[in-house]
Amino acid sequence: MTIFKTFLKVLNKNKGIVILYSAILIFFAAFSLQNNDNSMQFEKEKPSIAIRNRDQEEGFTKEFITYLKENSEVIELEDKEEAYLDALFYRNVNTIITIPEQFGENFVAQNNPEIEVKGTNSYESELTNLMIERYLKVAKIYFTISPSEENFQKIKETVEEEIKLEMTSKLNTNELKKMATYYNFANYSILAGCVYVICLILSSFKNEKIKKRTIISSVNEIKYNRILLMGNFLFAIVLWLFYCLISIVLIGNIMFTKQGIGCILNSLLFTLCAVTLSFLISNLIQNKNAINGIVNVIALGSSFLCGAFVPTELLPEMVQKVAHLLPSYYFINNNEKITSLENWNWEHLSPILLNTIILLFFSCLFVIITNYLTKKRRKQT
Amino acid sequence: MFFHNFKYTFKILFKNKSLIFWTFAFPIILGTLFYFAFSDIEKKEQFDRIQIAIIENELPNEIWNQALKELSEEGENQILQLQYTNIEQANKLLEEEKISGILILDSEQKLIVKKNGINETILKFAIEEIKQTETMLKNIIHSITYESQIQDTKNSINMTIQKILQMKTESMNNIKDVSVNNMSYTMIEYYTLIAMTCLYGGLLSMIAIQKNLANMGSVGKRSATSPTTKKTMILSSLLSSYLIQLIGIILLFLYTIFVLNVDYGNHFSFVVLLTLVGCFAGLSLGIFLASTLKSSENSKTGILLAITMFGCFLSGMMGITMKYVVDKNIPFINRINPANLITDGFYALYYYDTQTRFYHNVIGLLLISCFLIFISILFLRRQTYDNL
Repeated sequence: MTIFKTFLKVLNKNKGIVILYSAILIFFAAFSLQNNDNSMQFEKEKPSIAIRNRDQEEGFTKEFITYLKENSEVIELEDKEEAYLDALFYRNVNTIITIPEQFGENFVAQNNPEIEVKGTNSYESELTNLMIERYLKVAKIYFTISPSEENFQKIKETVEEEIKLEMTSKLNTNELKKMATYYNFANYSILAGCVYVICLILSSFKNEKIKKRTIISSVNEIKYNRILLMGNFLFAIVLWLFYCLISIVLIGNIMFTKQGIGCILNSLLFTLCAVTLSFLISNLIQNKNAINGIVNVIALGSSFLCGAFVPTELLPEMVQKVAHLLPSYYFINNNEKITSLENWNWEHLSPILLNTIILLFFSCLFVIITNYLTKKRRKQT
Repeated sequence: MFFHNFKYTFKILFKNKSLIFWTFAFPIILGTLFYFAFSDIEKKEQFDRIQIAIIENELPNEIWNQALKELSEEGENQILQLQYTNIEQANKLLEEEKISGILILDSEQKLIVKKNGINETILKFAIEEIKQTETMLKNIIHSITYESQIQDTKNSINMTIQKILQMKTESMNNIKDVSVNNMSYTMIEYYTLIAMTCLYGGLLSMIAIQKNLANMGSVGKRSATSPTTKKTMILSSLLSSYLIQLIGIILLFLYTIFVLNVDYGNHFSFVVLLTLVGCFAGLSLGIFLASTLKSSENSKTGILLAITMFGCFLSGMMGITMKYVVDKNIPFINRINPANLITDGFYALYYYDTQTRFYHNVIGLLLISCFLIFISILFLRRQTYDNL
């Protein structure tokens, strides 16, 4: 109890920095979730485009713009070259469409006017190109066969023709992707939080005088480590609870579905693993000043390599192979598997179970190594 | 004395492991991580053929078969990769996400997809185009039959169909694609890395100044009592910290250019200018914090790291969208954010053909640096002590 009480005392003494650090990490996760809507991780069904219309918005041009507005998300930008170019580079829009002067008139008169497209060479810009090409082709055919005003209606009818579509998955994929993104980010927030705080607090126990007093006490090193580990868990559980609570606020009711509960439990398991890893690291480092550097290298390193920031499927194959050596990989892989799980049968659950066992194995391994190191060091002292 | 202090400050700074980690090793580690995470991302985002299974339950429809053949013809314009199979096999492939959709060619065509996504959207779009061609043909045939009173209707229809189908396959000459290649947004990540390193360089000048301050430690006290002028001490210390900063940044440049293949555009001299000014901004930030704050070295270090990281966060290090959002909505913040001015300078060199934006960034950085140094001078000058 003395050890546990001391742990709490040190934690209380450092509460300012601990709360600040944890809050920043959780804020990063929440922010990354809000920000993702616009970035590379979510695939939108409608491409975002910007239209620079130099023509009058009437006749054919008006029809064409209406079609574009119905089939894509038109982003309004300040009419400056720089605003358009920046929006394209940062993927706020995926294509800039420039309609020249007298485009409508010339098109109807079959003078082959040209519209200019500038895209990002991505899926979305490819889709926009297809869309424009389709509309102009259909219009061109109608006007070649019979040049009349009635064609506007016919073009509209033709391009609005839809195919019967059936979607097999009943899952709310967008919400589940959000959930996976948020919980993948936990790899950084929880790991960095645990490593930083645990190393900071345990460094107080490394003071030479305290260390010597502990060695001559009757408590054996395994019990001593176990009590410290319990204290660490207490902090980690609070961090984890906050992280989960915020996910309920940000992602909503979907957190109470099977997939949501799965992700929460998976993150609890990872928190356990993160605590044991932090405990091991705190035993390895001797210099308090090195904590900041180590936190960054370990938390950022595993997050980048295992797909916490960038979806795993977008990582190079070599990196994915190396990632298998780290516990974060199994945590993130489990998140991905849980959020795409539709049939809860053995075939689909067994890979999740295997990842869980591997995470537990890592936790045990870290505890064993820590105990071995402490024992060895005590003998040396 | 100038050289003596310059030499020893250089040695002291170089032997400080924590400083060298943040200014030399950390940027290289972070750059390597960026490389691992982002090297394939843009390649994998590029358009690839969409896999689709076709199930034919009825006699083949000529228009559909012809159109599917065109969409899947190998070459630059290939959109689909077809496989003709049965429904069980197709469902299995869809479940395993090996295909994006199943097209059932029955009396009425039906498309089955697993989920929402851009591949599915493009697929739906391509398939709908075939259906639309069919409708268009029907519309046109109808109007020809309705309008023409002549005997030769059948011939006229056949000719029109041929013409339409030919026009459908012809490539459009109404669209001019002016897309450029320098669109790699992951470059921004590396530019923020350079910005971070320039500003982390402030740690060096901060420590260098710190050792000359009498109220900050015994070395400072001894320096203050020495006959050398404060100007000589401070200038020589700053020069050596700037030199170390430049060594660090040169190493990072070499690493990012030759190992990570980062593209800084074609204007080498401008890159050098921006780097020198960026490091100067870092230096002035360090002097500013060292001279204005009265706290310990550790807390000053923490503050400088926090300011730099926050600046990099706003300039897109943790996601490039952030930079765009701030630039668009609160541009003032990014105009006084040195990390963004450095990042934006490199971005301007990489993406824009003109240098106007680049010069704005360089001038902005110089103004901020001069302002910080001016404030620092106000704090540093005429510090005298009755006793130490």
